[in-house]
Amino acid sequence: MGAYLTRRLTYTILILLAASLLIFSLYAMTPGDFITGNIKLSPERKAELRELYGLNKPLLERYLTWMNQAFHGNFGYSLDKQQPVLTLFNQYIWNSFLLAIVSTFLTWIIAVIIGVIAAYRQYSWFDTLVMIFIFAAMSIPSFFIGLFLIKILAVDWKWLPPGGMLTTGSNATGIAYIREVVQHMTLPVIVMTLLGVGSLTRYFRSNMIDVIKQDYIRTARAKGLSERRVLFTHALRNALLPAITLVGFELPALFGGSLIIERIFNWPGIGQLYMQSFTVRDYPLLMGFTMFIAVLTVIGTLLSDILYHAADPRVKL
Amino acid sequence: MRKSAALLSGVLLTSLLFTACSNEASQESTSAAGTSSAQQPAALTSLFKAPDLSKLPATAQQRTDTIIMALTDPSGAFTPYFHQSGYDGNVSSLMFAPLVTTDDKGLPAPSLADHWELSKDQRTYTFHLQKDLKFSDGSPLTADDVAFTWTILHDKAYDGDSLIPTLGIEGGKAYHEGQADHISGIKITDPQTISVTIAKPNATALLTLGSDVLSKAYYGKDYRFGHLDYIKDLHLKPVGNGPYVLEKFIPGQEVRFTANPYYFKGEPKTKNFIYKTSEGDTWQYVETGEIDFASFSATQENIDKLKSLGFVNILPYTPSTYSFLQVNLEHQALQDKKVRQAITYGLDRQSIYVDANQGAGQIANIPAPPISWAYTEEGINPYAYDPEKAGQLLDEAGWLPGADGIREKNGQKLTLHYLGSKSAQTDVFIAVAEENFKAIGVDFQPEVFADYNSLASKVEGGDYDLASFSTPMLTDPSDGLVQFLDGEIKGYNNPQFVKLYNEALATNDLDKRKQIYAELFKLLNDDLPVIFTNYKKIVYAYNGRINDLTVSPFNGIASSVPQWALK
Repeated sequence: MGAYLTRRLTYTILILLAASLLIFSLYAMTPGDFITGNIKLSPERKAELRELYGLNKPLLERYLTWMNQAFHGNFGYSLDKQQPVLTLFNQYIWNSFLLAIVSTFLTWIIAVIIGVIAAYRQYSWFDTLVMIFIFAAMSIPSFFIGLFLIKILAVDWKWLPPGGMLTTGSNATGIAYIREVVQHMTLPVIVMTLLGVGSLTRYFRSNMIDVIKQDYIRTARAKGLSERRVLFTHALRNALLPAITLVGFELPALFGGSLIIERIFNWPGIGQLYMQSFTVRDYPLLMGFTMFIAVLTVIGTLLSDILYHAADPRVKL
Repeated sequence: MRKSAALLSGVLLTSLLFTACSNEASQESTSAAGTSSAQQPAALTSLFKAPDLSKLPATAQQRTDTIIMALTDPSGAFTPYFHQSGYDGNVSSLMFAPLVTTDDKGLPAPSLADHWELSKDQRTYTFHLQKDLKFSDGSPLTADDVAFTWTILHDKAYDGDSLIPTLGIEGGKAYHEGQADHISGIKITDPQTISVTIAKPNATALLTLGSDVLSKAYYGKDYRFGHLDYIKDLHLKPVGNGPYVLEKFIPGQEVRFTANPYYFKGEPKTKNFIYKTSEGDTWQYVETGEIDFASFSATQENIDKLKSLGFVNILPYTPSTYSFLQVNLEHQALQDKKVRQAITYGLDRQSIYVDANQGAGQIANIPAPPISWAYTEEGINPYAYDPEKAGQLLDEAGWLPGADGIREKNGQKLTLHYLGSKSAQTDVFIAVAEENFKAIGVDFQPEVFADYNSLASKVEGGDYDLASFSTPMLTDPSDGLVQFLDGEIKGYNNPQFVKLYNEALATNDLDKRKQIYAELFKLLNDDLPVIFTNYKKIVYAYNGRINDLTVSPFNGIASSVPQWALK
């Protein structure tokens, strides 16, 4: 295990180094830079500013400068927003995390319950209905469901707020504040759960169908255990096992924000920040964020492997 | 402008569903646009008053001391001169008043400066400040603060886009290079009087110099030459002198202001003001009363829908910009004026920019918006759509139809490689232009870019024939012309233009300037260094309970906000 971890960590560092170079080059080579976007500047002033920001230096030199600063914990200032990149992350990322963690939690709970029942009653009317609903939810674009729900629930019926995280101008604190945030996050969470629940339900359903057919389930039933016990203790636990790998992959998604959802519901998340910084080529912010997601992805996969080993001793590391 | 791509996709997203769910009116107007412009209802030309305030949503009714407006993306850098994003400029314009403002025609008007004089040689400006001016922390505002503001903009570390350093203030260069500890051209006579000498007469200098004033005691406390990073720490704690002061900034959500009791024109009529972070045209917030003020493209469909809400006033507005097709003057075919004129005649701009936009546009033929004091149509060729005339001009230029219908000259085909950034307008342009150009025997090759920066860098690289652009907000008529002079439009070289341009700037006599600009516009209208396409038209929709709301074409809302009152 120890040797395995050392080897994995070495790989991890190599992968991250390669990824950072690749990402940096991609951003640097995207046509147009931060200065191009400002149409108020004269060509001379543009040249002067490129010099000041170091944008006219060769790619490799720029990369090394960035890397050097990053190793010293300095991720720089956002060019567009004039604030430290880490401060900006801190301001936006937790809002995205809040949406993601709640909707991921709901997605998993709902997917497990529906998946188990659908598998147990394979080809019943319930199973068929669930499958139809799931395919429908998976194939409708998120912006459509989002806007449709805003139109119905917020504009026409006025049950829920149309977007944002707080009522504009609100000074609520404590319980009132929490209630406000919950009200505002209801719509985006519904949409994110709807979109995510489909594939996960199908995943659990098919796992469960496989497991139910196993010999040890027959044995459990033969011992005279109650059906509930058979299903949830013996079958579900084994059916969930492969899902552990998914947990690790969810990690970057928890912090990465959702571009479209945040846009539609005007949620102050990191996805929106990222999109805006891309349109203006705000390199420090782009680089910082993409590397952050890369680190999370690498950690996530590592975590999956270790968890898998913990859950299933047959898996050797 | 660089935000326009993002904004458009937002418009698309929101309009997609809402038009689908809304009424037949939208279908009517699209079909009208398809057939002819004559069938369209008359466009909105003056303020439309809300007919039924009883429809006002409860959310808005309960908000008795606060006005809320949408702003796409304020980011928190709220120091004038030091922000990069124009949205932060919108925020700081409520907290900082300029020395000199502009009236509805774009002409200078007093603000913090009560009056000013210009020396005989037109190089020295003397500003006389109003008495008893105060910053929002109660400290006095004097000529010292003005001098400090002008001085730090000359620091070598200054990376903003203020034009003050380009005026050539005497001694400015020495300061920039670190050879002097102050700028010799700036002189303080007494706490209310300051004068500044610039390199040569420049009619735009007054408004450029007459901008916001930073407090020396606050922003200059930690200043050392060559080090301006400390200002970044003050971005979120601004000390200004405008109608409002910052109360709270919630990133990605709101900027909250309260009235500034020290504002020199008296405390604003509405106690609180909020910029809510959201696209400017978010229907759902207008409909539910969450915001009081929003702007929309002036399409018939939008106007009809806004009217049907009942509780919004609708104010038509022409932004102070113009749009154009940049022509690659380094390509031989396009160096010929006749070819450029032929393209203009051969392009059905009325269909592309007016009809397809349901009236939310107007054809442009000169580089000045119709609201400018210099605008004129006298002696201006309207280049009405005329494919025959276009063909005739191309014939004259030596481009004759080849076997496949495409015109040729010396074995070269007449090809136009067009660049545009992804938007509904670009889609319309490509669809119509494709047919238009085919009709006059020009091979049209469109290419669309995902965002503005990639488009602009491709143009900088020179691999194009035509490219769509818009100007930023123009105040002085020269603002719309400078691109033909400073190298932005490569390859345009007309000595007559340069002479007139400099003449117009070298005088402060308005009538004379008007005359010169009329001549300049005529020249450019004939020369066509770029192909002028259109002016945009928008409408402001605001809650009917706001009284006395006006919007200046040159200052936006900043100068009139203190007057806005809630019923």
